[in-house]
This record gives sequence, structure tokens and C-alpha cells, in this order.
Amino acid sequence: MYAGWTDHHRGCDSWLCRLPAGVKLPVAIGLVLAMVAVPARWAVGLWGFAGLLALLLAISGVSVRLVVRKLLLLEPMVLVIAVAAAFQPAGWRGALLLASRSTLCLATMVLLASTTPFMDILRVLRRWRVPPLLVTTLMLMHRYLFVLADQAHRMRRARQGRTFTPRRALVWRHRAGIIAHLFVRTSDRAQRIYWAMSARGWR
Amino acid sequence: MAVNALEVANLSFHYPDGSAALQAVSFVVAAGESVAVLGPNGAGKSTLLLHLNGLLPESRPHDGAVRVGGQPVVRANLPEVRRQVGLLFQDPDDQLFCPTVFEDVAFGPRQLALTEEQVRQRVEEALTRVGLVGFESRLPHHLSQGEKRRVCLAGVLACQSSILVLDEPTSGLDPRGRRELKALLRQLPITKIIATHDLELAAELCPRTLLLDGGRLVADGPTLQLLADEPLMHKHGLERPHLLDHLHPHGPVAGR
Amino acid sequence: MHLPDGFLNRPMVLTTAALGTAGLALALRSAKRLPPSRVPLLGLSAAFVFAAQMVNFPVAGGTSGHLMGSVLVAALLGPAAAVVVMSAVLILQCLMFADGGITALGANILNMAVIGGAGGGALYHLVRHLTPSMPFQIGAAGIVAWGATVVASLACAAELAASGTVGWRVGLGAMGGVHMLIGIGEGLITMLVLAAVAKARPDLLVPVETHGFEPIMPDSPPVPARSAVAAAPRSLRPMILPGLIISAAVAMLLAPHASSLPDGLEKTAQALGFAHHQAASPVIPAPLPDYAVPGIGSEMWATAVAGVMGTAAMFLLGLLIAKLARLRRRTRAYV
Repeated sequence: MYAGWTDHHRGCDSWLCRLPAGVKLPVAIGLVLAMVAVPARWAVGLWGFAGLLALLLAISGVSVRLVVRKLLLLEPMVLVIAVAAAFQPAGWRGALLLASRSTLCLATMVLLASTTPFMDILRVLRRWRVPPLLVTTLMLMHRYLFVLADQAHRMRRARQGRTFTPRRALVWRHRAGIIAHLFVRTSDRAQRIYWAMSARGWR
Repeated sequence: MAVNALEVANLSFHYPDGSAALQAVSFVVAAGESVAVLGPNGAGKSTLLLHLNGLLPESRPHDGAVRVGGQPVVRANLPEVRRQVGLLFQDPDDQLFCPTVFEDVAFGPRQLALTEEQVRQRVEEALTRVGLVGFESRLPHHLSQGEKRRVCLAGVLACQSSILVLDEPTSGLDPRGRRELKALLRQLPITKIIATHDLELAAELCPRTLLLDGGRLVADGPTLQLLADEPLMHKHGLERPHLLDHLHPHGPVAGR
Repeated sequence: MHLPDGFLNRPMVLTTAALGTAGLALALRSAKRLPPSRVPLLGLSAAFVFAAQMVNFPVAGGTSGHLMGSVLVAALLGPAAAVVVMSAVLILQCLMFADGGITALGANILNMAVIGGAGGGALYHLVRHLTPSMPFQIGAAGIVAWGATVVASLACAAELAASGTVGWRVGLGAMGGVHMLIGIGEGLITMLVLAAVAKARPDLLVPVETHGFEPIMPDSPPVPARSAVAAAPRSLRPMILPGLIISAAVAMLLAPHASSLPDGLEKTAQALGFAHHQAASPVIPAPLPDYAVPGIGSEMWATAVAGVMGTAAMFLLGLLIAKLARLRRRTRAYV
């Protein structure tokens, strides 16, 4: 699901992309908070936000198709809850308001994610005094995300090459086995990384 | 009398399940020497290397079994030992754990509590030596295997270690990467200990070889002599490399 | 179950942010006592969870299920580490993939990391000491994983109800019902993975927190992997009181909100009643019994009290099980 999400900010050269994460993150959060805080009677105000977002998207240099694609991927969750919300006294109008607000917030976060490398966000978090253990965990996770996802993918391909009867129970056993194997390798790798860190003086 | 770079005396180590990984290994390496460590899989090469900077045994480095620059590898000396001994791991992905090339090469110097300006200088020097200038903001998972290894080497060089310990440095490299790494290593004048399956690398870079098998040191002598000893090679799961048939008397082989 | 922005009202955003942050902070404090050799394991495990969540488990037709992993990670690393790991994954998903809203991050962390990881994990580790039998432990993990999935979904439904977004009965039926099914997959996958790890590397099944992984000195006899199972989870003790407080707080704060919408509920019930009769839709009936507590008239207080009573009951049950386990261990030691 997340394939292709990762490096879209590499080609991104616009003013928005070059803005430091220390500015973009609080602004994005502020926008979302503002949109969440808009009361139902002033729902028209959401149009203003929509316009602002469209403007930001235009100057961001990020491909609109990309943003729309990412939005569509995440939209179903919004729609499901909106449908459930339609049973409330506010009815379909209320549900529509909720869905619109939520979608705009989603678009904001998608824009942030598309113009800001995750590592930069982590550096901002570190500056904001987020506990070092959490920041280290996030950094290592991000570093080894693709290494492990790659490993899992290769293991699956290898198993597929040896599997001829796609019985569901067997598939479940195989996939669980892959996850287990992945954990074992992860655990060993974590040990080696600790050695590599210690070897260069980390305490 | 010059202090030996490395002294290992009667080193033994057991795995958690009780089996022996190293048995009474002893050898001495003088400053500036290049030594290859050869042996079949499971011989204990990696385990031996991990002892050289005190990563093993985990709880308490044995007093006196390993001495680096005359100092015993004990808990009190670990920071200095780890600065002196630069260890390059087999899988560069295990060692390149920082988000960018710059941060990774800077990791060692930063642990040494240098100023940011000094750190930056060391990183630049190290990257220049390995030929990776301009790679500072590259992400590790975008690098080729050879580039990753060179970044790891830069990370170790930035600490200004006096002993370089390498675990399978050419594994996974394509011929060009291998050539580049060999040229790099040849240029470095510091003490080198290279554990490898690449017998040609050993012949070309290391005049002396330690042969390990089953945790024991079974041979310690001139590389070419050991490699040419076919029965010895076969007995310990290796083979006589064809390189020896094509040696030019004045060719680029170590020891001549 | 990643809640997007915009569905929780302001009080709920603040409440869940506070509770989620508190849970994470507690877990971080507990995890700080880990030996440094275990620190990279947290980051790597987070990457592992992310990669594992991408693995497809075909269900029917074209649909497939995925592992969430909170109880799995808790079984492998311990509850506190699991909270940190799952929170890291959620934070990444929110900030890098916009999966899960930023204002809902607190709620998501609360539901999936704290309830799933800490609650489920603590329960699993308590239950696990009944017997060193591996199949029993694995079975327990599966059941706890199912339970954690359901409880997390109920918490999510409660948060939506307390925000006035989705009626409690709708949320309960839809979310709760669906997750009772999803939970089966989660439980099964958790069991299968644990069984595979147990077969390949039983030494990895000892949680990071209780076992310091003290390396063996040369010449000493090797430690069998299972004996570490008997080790008392002393490091869990500091988590019990805060965990209890958080669970009770969640029950008390959220439950009465759900029923403080009398008009809305009545109207919805009527509408639903109509809907049921007309559409004859396969809405799954609420699996849990009524929240009414005999003797207490006001629905709001009844729910709150029921919530606290339920939490207390679970805690006492867990405590009883743990005491029994310790008793059994002691008697066995004398045999």
C-alpha cells in the first residue's frame, strides 16, 4: 500500500519544499486544528481552507495526480465513518460536513508528507525535546524500514517459487513463517547494530 | 622497543550453548603489518574479530587476553580501545545506521566529543580518502554495496584508528567495487587485519596469514607459503588459489 | 482502525491526547531501564512491525487480512517495549503516510499501542505463568490478541460516541462486530508467528524486560531457554498501578459520555428500529450484555460504574491468576 510513497520529495524543488520542516510541521498541525475547531454554523469557512490548500498544492510543485492518488487511498476510512455518522440526529448534512472537514485535514497531512522528508520531521521532534529513546527508535525504524520490507518481499518470492498448491491454510502458515523468520533476522541484526554502535564509541 | 599493535594470548571463548568458539588462540601483530585471517565457515573468524575491540565477551572483557597497543582490553580501557581499533562489519547495512552519509561518518567523531567544526573536518577528510566527496547528504539505502562499504570505511577512518579490522570486506562486491576497495586498502599504511574468503585479496594485500579452523589457530606464516600448501588448504576447507600459478615475480603481490 | 482527523470533538481530542501521551510516557520511562544492548531492538522491531503489517493473508474473494501486531510484539518484547514500538509505527504512519490524523494520534496510540500493547501484553504475561507449556502460552497469546483487537475497536467506538459523531449502538455493532471477526485473524496470525519463532529460536520468546540477556561466562553450563519463563515479572510491577489508573480513567471518562446523549440515542434507536424492520439488514447484534447496573437509576452513572467494575474485575482476575501461578511454581519447586 505504501509503495512509492517514500521518495517523492526528492524531485521537489519548490519554495514550499525548501521551507524548513520546523515551519511546515507546526503550520500543518495548526491548519488541522483550525479546521477541526470550525463549528458547524461556520462550515462555509471550510471553503476558505480548501482554497488555501489548493493554492499551497499549486505552488508546491508536487504532482496533483500524486496527491489525489494518495488521498483516494486513505479516503475510504473517512467515508465509512461518515456513513456511520449519518445515523446521528444531524443526518446526512452533518455527515457531509464531517467528511469534508476530515478530507481537508487529510489533504493537509498528505501535502505535508509529500513535501517534507520524514527525517527532517524527526530532527524537528528532537529539537522539540521529544524523549531521545523515542526519537532514536523512530530514526532506526525509518532507516531499516526498506531493508526489512525488502527482505520480507524476497522471502515471499522465494516461498512462492516453491509453492504449487495455494491452499489458504498453507498460505497462512507460510506467511506467518515469513514474519517469524523476519523477526529472528531482525533480532540478530539489532544485536549487530548494537555492536556497530559500540564499536564507534556509543554508550 | 616498539609496542606491538595487537597481542592475543591464549584467548578462549564459548558460545551460550556451551560449544567452544575459540580455543587458546595466540598471536602478535606488529604495527603496520597486514595480516589475513583465513578459514572455513564457522572457524571462528568473526568471533575472533569481535574480541579485538572488546565487543566480546559481553559481560567482562578477559583481563590480559587481548592487548591493544600494549593496553589490556578491559572495561576501563574500552573507549580508547574502540577508538584505536576500527572494526568494519561484514554487512555494511548493519554499520550504516544513521540517516545520511554525513551523519554516519560523523558518528564516531561525535562520540569522541569533538567540536562540530572538528567533526566536519574529519568527515570531509575521510570522505575524500575513500573517494566519496559530495555524498554527504545521500541516503544509505540509495547507495550501491561498494559505496556503502566505502562509507563504513570512512566512518572508521574519521575516528583516526591505528588498527583496521575488516570482516569479509569484498563479499557482495562487483569486480569494480572490489578493485576500488583493494586499491583503497593498499594505500592505507595502518595495521590491517582482514578476515576473508577472498584468497586472492589475502595474497595481494597481506604478507602474513593466520589460519583458523574449529576455533584453533592451525597455522601462522607467510601468505604465499600457506596458500601454496595444497594439503593444508584442503584439510581446512580452503583451496590453493590459481593466482599462484600466474604470479609475476615483480607483480603487485604483498611480501615481495 | 486508524482514526482520521475531524471525527473527534475538542474534548475528546484533548482527553485521548492526554491519555495516549501518558501511556507512551510511562512506557518510555519503563523502557529506559533496558540495557543499552536492547535499544536498537526497539527501532528495528518497529521496522519489523511495519514490514509485517504489509504481509497479505488471503481471506475470501480478493480480500486479505493483515497483522496489526500489538500483542505479538508484547509477547516478544514485553508490554512497555510494545507500547513504544507500536507508537513509533503509528507516528510514522501519521506523519509520513497521513494514515491516521494528527489530532487523532493520541486516540490511535491509546487504542492500538496502549490498550493493545500494554493491556494485551500485560494480560498475556500474567496468564503465561500458569504453565510453561508452550502450546498453552501460544493459545493464550491468540486469545489475548483477539480480545485486544475487540477492546481497541470498542474504545474507538466509545471515543466516536463520546464525540457525538457516531451513535454508541451503531459504533458498537459495526466496529465491535467487524472487529470480532478481524480479531480472529489477528489471533490466528499471532499464534502462527509465535509458534514459528518458538520452533526456530525459543530463546527469543523471553521478553526483553524480564530477561536482561546476561551473557554466559565461559565454562558455565548453558541456561535452558524455558527456565527464564519462570522468572517473576518483577519489572511489570511498576506498570500495574499506572496501568490500572489509565484503564479506570478510560472506562470512567468515556463510558458515561457515550450515554450522556439521551435524546440522540433515543432518536437513533427509533431510526435504527425502523431501519432494522425495513432493511432486514444483517446488523450483528450487540454481543455484550446491557450496561445497566441494578440499583443505579441514571444510565450515565450506571455505565461509568460498570466500566470501573469491569476494569477492577479484570485486574482482580489477573491478580488471582498470577497468585495461583506463583503458588503452583512454589509447590512444584519442592517436588
